Amino acid sequence: MTQISTATPTTTSGRKVAISLRGVSIGYGDKAIVEGIDLDIYEGEIMFIGGGSGCGKSTLLSSLNTLRAPLSGSIKIDGIEIAGADEDTLQRVRRRFGMMYQLGALFGGMSLLENVRLPLEEFTTLSNDAMDDLARAKLGLVGLAAHADKKPSEISGGMQKRAAIARALALDPPIIFLDEPSAGLDPVTSADLDAMIVALNRMLGTTFVVISHELASIFSIGHRFAMLDGARRRLVALGPPLELRDSSPDTWVRRFLSRTPSGDA
Amino acid sequence: MTHAAPTVRATPSGDKLAIAIEGDLVLETVGAVQKALEAPLATKPRRVSLDLKGVSRIDASGVAVAVRLHRFAKAAGLPFDITGIDGDRKLLVDLALRGQDPQPAQAHLGMVREVGMRAVEGFNTLKDLLRFCGEVSVIALQIIRRPVLLRWNDTLVAMARHGTDAVPVVGLLGFLIGAIIAFQTYDPMAKFGAKLQVADVVGISIVRELGPLITAIVLAGRSGSAFAAEIGTMKVTQELDALRTFGIDPVRFLVIPRMLATLLVTPLLSVYASILGVLGGYIVLGPKGITIMQYLVEVRAALTIGGFLQGLAKAAVFAILVSGVGCLAGIRTGQGPGAVGMSTTRAVVVGIVAIILADSVLGSFFYSLGI
Ligand SMILES: Nc1ncnc2c1ncn2[C@@H]1O[C@H](COP(=O)(O)OP(=O)(O)OP(=O)(O)O)[C@@H](O)[C@H]1O
Ligand SMILES: [Mg+2]
Repeated sequence: MTQISTATPTTTSGRKVAISLRGVSIGYGDKAIVEGIDLDIYEGEIMFIGGGSGCGKSTLLSSLNTLRAPLSGSIKIDGIEIAGADEDTLQRVRRRFGMMYQLGALFGGMSLLENVRLPLEEFTTLSNDAMDDLARAKLGLVGLAAHADKKPSEISGGMQKRAAIARALALDPPIIFLDEPSAGLDPVTSADLDAMIVALNRMLGTTFVVISHELASIFSIGHRFAMLDGARRRLVALGPPLELRDSSPDTWVRRFLSRTPSGDA
Repeated sequence: MTHAAPTVRATPSGDKLAIAIEGDLVLETVGAVQKALEAPLATKPRRVSLDLKGVSRIDASGVAVAVRLHRFAKAAGLPFDITGIDGDRKLLVDLALRGQDPQPAQAHLGMVREVGMRAVEGFNTLKDLLRFCGEVSVIALQIIRRPVLLRWNDTLVAMARHGTDAVPVVGLLGFLIGAIIAFQTYDPMAKFGAKLQVADVVGISIVRELGPLITAIVLAGRSGSAFAAEIGTMKVTQELDALRTFGIDPVRFLVIPRMLATLLVTPLLSVYASILGVLGGYIVLGPKGITIMQYLVEVRAALTIGGFLQGLAKAAVFAILVSGVGCLAGIRTGQGPGAVGMSTTRAVVVGIVAIILADSVLGSFFYSLGI
């Protein structure tokens, strides 16, 4: 299968940029929630995004995944501008990433297997059996193979999340967006998920953009951490998580990453 | 990116099938590999092994080959092993193979069991219906004793939505049906010189029968379905559970205001539909030389106070049936997004059937009373 290769911009450090944001403001209507975001996410990077509840993380992700145009600024995915792009361009870009929504957003009328199969049915010419096997393999990766034939309403909230991750993996996209994948998972399942992310990232160079409050995950598998602040309405920190925790000039960032109550000095 | 087409070598030695794959095992190539495995697997080997040493690249789709062989071997009770992977690859394959044992296919229910299950289901529906009627009656009695228990505000809002807002459509349908009846009966009646008596036909059929019926059918389509969808969505999102854990009875909180509102507005709507129906009849008779006074006097003479009350009583019964069926369908909503749709359909279909059934029962009841 041949694919159109796109010119990928490189930075001064020589790493390829998967997603680049310049002066991006996000929000609803004309009300900006976060303004002036400048951020490069590199190919093969595991980038965590954090910040207080309601600070705009999910909104940022919905701008990155092309569904909600930014209020201003430029967003490029694999060098393709998506701010203000036409539907054809967006459609092409959408094949480059997989997305897991905060609440799972599984198709309730379908079994888990059918949920994961759906993108395969739409975008590949595989045989029925092959699609089943692929879907089962992906459900296996998130530990749900034994539940393949259940409906989303018949499994727990954490299981629905994992099924949604399997669905995001369906087409093996080079970029994967995850909105709080480990919230509500037990520590072992959460660690399994981290291991899977690392394995895919190391083997295939898959880029992960993960919203998470799971400090253990952020420190153990995150390459960099970007933090939004709802009150100041901007990106307040960007860097390797441990470094930020120990030596960020910003008190709020250090507190956030060291889980210190806001009352303490 | 282009991918090297993988090569699949399947070597049967004795009853052992050794499979070795080389090249890229990724989404784009995995279909071909799966196909290449069909024939060797059909030879009924006694053990299977998979060698992935020669694989240059494997993604989460490529792992599906291991899943296929694992499931094949498990289903046939054969030993299966994978070699030539370590590190991240081994981790990925191991993760993917967790819980992949094929489930025994669900036994198809025998006919006897099928019939039994249906019977139990029907019995449960009946039980739910009886319990619902009981709950509604008990709470209605409580509210009569202590009217503060009623959610007045919700009731008024529901009256506006299901009464006031329905005025245009109910009026239009009533008017047209009146005109249609006059139009269809005029010629045969005129043959017997009974032109003016068309007014009797219109008056009686509209006031006693069709006014309430049209109103109730519109109600089933507009309001019964809305009740089922509103309450059904709340059921799906666990809002009903949330009410119950607060100790708030969903029947008092949601059902009673809706049923009461419908009960209050439907007879009014029905009278309105009847008036417009009678006027609709005159649209046909007017051009035939009958004056409006002649027409109205004739209609008035044909109607008895009993006939009018009969129409009101029917409208009230229909209102309770339609709103009760709609709310019950909402409360009985199952899980998943299709469930709300099913409840809505059920509310409308069962509602209309119930209306027509009740109409025939009430019709013969009033007839035997001589009204
Ligand atoms: N549809 C909407 N219309 C208007 N404002 C919205 C909408 N959705 C969210 N918001 C606002 O945008 C802000 C950011 O919401 P968002 O969902 O992005 O937060 P978040 O960082 O993902 O929070 P959480 O960690 O709780 O998921 C919130 O203050 C919220 O009030
Ligand atoms: Mg969010």
